[in-house]
Amino acid sequence: MNVSRRSFLLTSGLLGLAGTGALSACGSGGSGGSGDGKELAFWIWAGAISEKVVDDVAASVASSVKITKSIIGGDFKQRLTTTLSSGQSVPDITGIKGEDMPSFLTQAGAFLDLNELGAKDIASSFAAAKYAAATTADGKQIGLPIDLGPTATYYREDAWAKAGLPTDPTAAGQLVATWDGWFQAAKTVKAATGATSVRNTTDVFAAALAQQPETFVTKAGAWAGDGTAVKKAWDLAVQSHTDGVSAGIYDSTGYNQALAASSIVGHVGPAWFGLDIASGAPDTSGKWRVTGTPGGPANIGGSFLALTTACRNPQAAFDYIKTLLTPENAAKSFTDASVFPATTAAYALPALTAGQDFYGGQATIEVFGPAAQALPTVYDDPNNAAIAAPYYTELSNVEGGKDPAAAWTDAVAAAKQVADRAGVK
Amino acid sequence: MRAARPLRRHWRSLVPHLVLWVGVVVALFPFYWSVVMATNTTRDIFSTPPKLVPGTHLLENLQNVFARIDFWGALGNTALVAVVTTGAVLTLDSLAAFAFSKFEFPGRRALFGLLLLLFMLPAQLSLIPQFIIMRELGFVGQLQALVLPAAANAFGVFWMRQYMSTSVPDEVLDAARMDGCGFFRQWWHVALPTTRPGLAFLAIFTFVAAWNDYVWPLIVLVNPNVQTLQTSLAQLNVSFGTDYSMVMAGALLAVIPIMVAFLFLSRWFVADGVAGALK
Amino acid sequence: MYLAIAPFFVLFGVFVLIPVCFSVWLSFQKYSVLGGIGASEFVGLRQFEFLVQDATFRRALFNTLVIWVLGTFPMLAMALVLAALINNVTRLKAFYRLAFFLPNVTSIVAVTLFFGALFSEQFGLVNQLLEAVGLTGVPWLSDPWAMKVVVAVLITWQWCGYNAILYLAGMQAIPGDVYEAAQLDGAGPVRAFFSITVPLLRPVILFTTVISTITTLQTFTEPQVLFGSNTAVNPNSGGPGQGALTMVLYFYQQAFNNNDYGYGAAIALGVFAVVLVFVVINFRLARAGEDS
Repeated sequence: MNVSRRSFLLTSGLLGLAGTGALSACGSGGSGGSGDGKELAFWIWAGAISEKVVDDVAASVASSVKITKSIIGGDFKQRLTTTLSSGQSVPDITGIKGEDMPSFLTQAGAFLDLNELGAKDIASSFAAAKYAAATTADGKQIGLPIDLGPTATYYREDAWAKAGLPTDPTAAGQLVATWDGWFQAAKTVKAATGATSVRNTTDVFAAALAQQPETFVTKAGAWAGDGTAVKKAWDLAVQSHTDGVSAGIYDSTGYNQALAASSIVGHVGPAWFGLDIASGAPDTSGKWRVTGTPGGPANIGGSFLALTTACRNPQAAFDYIKTLLTPENAAKSFTDASVFPATTAAYALPALTAGQDFYGGQATIEVFGPAAQALPTVYDDPNNAAIAAPYYTELSNVEGGKDPAAAWTDAVAAAKQVADRAGVK
Repeated sequence: MRAARPLRRHWRSLVPHLVLWVGVVVALFPFYWSVVMATNTTRDIFSTPPKLVPGTHLLENLQNVFARIDFWGALGNTALVAVVTTGAVLTLDSLAAFAFSKFEFPGRRALFGLLLLLFMLPAQLSLIPQFIIMRELGFVGQLQALVLPAAANAFGVFWMRQYMSTSVPDEVLDAARMDGCGFFRQWWHVALPTTRPGLAFLAIFTFVAAWNDYVWPLIVLVNPNVQTLQTSLAQLNVSFGTDYSMVMAGALLAVIPIMVAFLFLSRWFVADGVAGALK
Repeated sequence: MYLAIAPFFVLFGVFVLIPVCFSVWLSFQKYSVLGGIGASEFVGLRQFEFLVQDATFRRALFNTLVIWVLGTFPMLAMALVLAALINNVTRLKAFYRLAFFLPNVTSIVAVTLFFGALFSEQFGLVNQLLEAVGLTGVPWLSDPWAMKVVVAVLITWQWCGYNAILYLAGMQAIPGDVYEAAQLDGAGPVRAFFSITVPLLRPVILFTTVISTITTLQTFTEPQVLFGSNTAVNPNSGGPGQGALTMVLYFYQQAFNNNDYGYGAAIALGVFAVVLVFVVINFRLARAGEDS
């Protein structure tokens, strides 16, 4: 050993001491307390909202509060739940993903009721169905919606032209007004170009499921995982496989490649998915169009901003998130980050009404705007996310060659088990 | 015939080297490939045919890494945790091991048996309660939460006990006792100097384990401003995974410190340490 | 004396002993994360009832066992051969040891990121090579079997050298005259390997098999990082079709995604039981081998 024993141990001992000191010094400033704190911690994930808007608004209030934004990667829900359950390092302001909202509604005690801070007065400025998704049964409002994901049919204008289908969004919309119509069109495209019209069966499943007012668990709390609503969505998903219009791709690089190679020329999904297509295959810019969803609009995703009970300055925090979501700022978020506003007044602003180059100059708001206003109010049970998992797994197995009927039986059995565990009757 | 013999012998001695070199290439290729990826743009590596030689975009990729995660902060946290954990493990484990290997005291066998039993339990069995305990202690989201459980390293006690029972000479201990040395002075003056290779192995082993730990930091480090290299890397991948070059640059940078440390200390780790393990 | 072992045992008690007992207690509870211990409800054996009926856990068990078989036995065989080769050469010994050990000190997260890029389906080097020689690419990250192969390859790459070094240390302890005697009897190097080296190394082989079994049955990081960026489904669901959902990943998902601590604890105990069974099998096989 080159280092002598003494210095070795001495060093490690000293480092140990220094370390203990430094470790305790690292502790974050305690959470909790209400009132007029001067610092607010804000947790959000990449792409939830325009970071520029977040920073600009923070700068404008910097004289009264300092807002520290943290971009959290990984599983946001897990991170937030863990923090809330530990009561330590709890942020003052946090984003909540739409699919996680039902489970956070059951933990409403960890969040401030925004109605007490003035949410009531601005409630009507948000898309009603989305705003209602953050309201508890007893009327507490725990989040303001940032964005939503009205669904639409995406299609490649050039592929449709090649297949002899109408490429104008209005005419195309009439063609795909029903799921039958969409399958017909997709099969025609497949025959003419060999290309598929959706990434995988689970996309069809998600879109069709979102159209149902109740899914795996009814509003009354009853098990419905084998009910008609779920079965209908399942059958449509399976059909996209049996009809050969699903590409059966599950990894993102593979998907980007397929988009770039024009072997996938369509999609059925939410407004925010357009960004995934645009960033995955930038070279296809100008060739895409959007039109209505087969079977009518639905919502997938879209997030919220919430304040935790650990918030050190509730009023300043509420004013801050309110400002982030004004029509003007929502429109900026749309321009910067393709976040489709939940603030409906933003739809009339130039940022949204302008034609978009990626869609060959089409003003996509003409599709998404009316869809956003016509969203069905759905009941999303807190257990839905966990119960849904087996269906997604089995759908991907179907695309791997599993018999659809057997897959359905397995999915229902596995989902029922999850539901039983969660106490769903 | 006569001429063929040395040739054949030569050939014979070459075959193992050839096979070993194939192994070396397989073992080291991912490192090379990560260098290639980290020094090119994502577009370059995903082109057909792919680029197979290092490029010139390393700085740009690194800048992207620094813009997206607090790399140096995470590096500092990781180093701090690894050093403190190692120091604690060396001290506590060698003390306990010394007592177990050279002294008789009531309860010795029972305590050691308990240690052995719990050593075999899988780590995840205690993850949930550990989290709850950290919550009660107020350490969730802080680095103490990483150090404390890691300092209770049963492996180190076994290892050092094994090492001490064979390499600390009883005669010297007896002599020290005659001179009036107490337990701690015997530990300091006799036990530690004679078990340096064992300590060194334990130190590197603990350091590497602490540096590379992932599951526990993933659970307990809820504070986005207090992260380790591993959790930061994973976040980088999840949030910006499509930029492979950038992710690779981060991964590469994160493994370099441990590689350098390993290369310097490798003779302890590879040769003496492992040989000692089999005594 | 007690002063010497006290610090260790205090830490050990608080962070290992109590948690293990606590875990056992939890597995009989329906635990409310926000309510805390006071709000938990005793449910008897219900969590274990769920566990034995849980198709997802069975899938995770199956996946884990496949990964164990693919990731342990070829790896140990290769390690043994590598060790024998290193033992036979005179030059570059230290270099080989170092090169083969390097993968083991690299963090699993970084290694997984490296391999994720290598096995990427459309652009990954592996598929590009396959296609260059006229084969078709394999959907490494979405086919349930290929996914397990990737995880096993990762494990093999990371642990092969480590085990080779252990074997090598064992081989160096075998006295040279045993080989000389065999050589006089006319045994070639291959026969010497099977009739001398392998039998004499049996304790080391058993040791490495047990350690590899324990670690491989607890595989977590590889699938978690490899499929964590697939945001279409739950990032901890183990990839498409849950093809790489391992037992510990399922534990993590239930405990820390769904916050079901009670069920999580039951899964952890299930994992422990599985590990125990396979370790016992290892020992049994080793003993049977000794008797024959």
